[in-house]
Amino acid sequence: MSLFEGYWPAWLGAIALAVVCLGVFLGTGRFLGVAGMLSRLLRPRETERLRALESGLADAETLARAMEEAARAEFGAACDAVPALAERSDAPAARPLPAAVPRPPWIALLVFVLCVALGGLLSAALSGTLSIRWDLGPAYERLLAAGPGAWALLFLGGLLVGFGTQMAGGCTSGHGLSGCSRLQPASLLATACFFGTAVLLSLLLSGLAA
Amino acid sequence: MKTTLTLGGCGLLLGFSLSRTGFTDYGELSRMFAFADLRMLWVFAGAVGLCAAGFFLVDRRLFRPTRRIHPGVVPGGILFGAGWVLCGACPVVPLIQLGEGKLAALFTLLGVALGTLLYRRVHARLLRFDTGACDS
Repeated sequence: MSLFEGYWPAWLGAIALAVVCLGVFLGTGRFLGVAGMLSRLLRPRETERLRALESGLADAETLARAMEEAARAEFGAACDAVPALAERSDAPAARPLPAAVPRPPWIALLVFVLCVALGGLLSAALSGTLSIRWDLGPAYERLLAAGPGAWALLFLGGLLVGFGTQMAGGCTSGHGLSGCSRLQPASLLATACFFGTAVLLSLLLSGLAA
Repeated sequence: MKTTLTLGGCGLLLGFSLSRTGFTDYGELSRMFAFADLRMLWVFAGAVGLCAAGFFLVDRRLFRPTRRIHPGVVPGGILFGAGWVLCGACPVVPLIQLGEGKLAALFTLLGVALGTLLYRRVHARLLRFDTGACDS
């Protein structure tokens, strides 16, 4: 087996993807989800505004104090019947969920996207398959289209991918990896839907092409 | 800084490993979807299993259901599945294909970006269902 010749065996690919998914979580405190990252990358101003908002609410204690203050502002003296959070002995020991941290800054998302492309470049260069080309290979031409027709179909497919992943709230990484591995019902359902549809359409296309 | 370095390193490994496993190759992808070759299915299933073990070791509370099954999950999943077969790419793939020199992925990337921006408008103007998150 070579790292750079032919395609990797399943076990090696599985380990690499799991390292990425767990690495993003341990290093940033947030779950890997490329569809969400692209969406935030496309909206730099909103991303930074949300990040500023979130950083004020990141830890449980700051959040509890802010809520207490808001309650006092709203209900005034009625709050005096309830001891302040800091004085209560039965206050739950706040152990924040590991995911309760602010989202990455916009520049980190840009670095991520560039490094993904660089990973593809390294893979192609080291395996000797790097070549500038405008086609997607014989399988695409046999099953779908070639030339300008293929480009139109790529654009249409991309449109559906962008729209559908935002509508479903995740893609192969967000729902498929991060969500399914934590047995999130919404992610299992979304993954069954996109995978099921892809299988049916692929079988249909290969039936038509045969 | 730690976040940026983590995302840079993970992005590099993600791009490299998806390229080396065949997720950017339409022939491999269509064989996976038609169950003609199970290798890439095992890549995915194995990664899910390893991630599950990892998350379990970090904190069991990560398995609490937090993601709402909102009205967009099923139709969104179906549209994404159809799009994946038509362009051979989940959202990260066109970036890797561009790195590999497959310039046709520019059309895919343009579609993904426009679809992403379009959905936000359609959601705000027409759909408006509660996704269970402030942003998604």
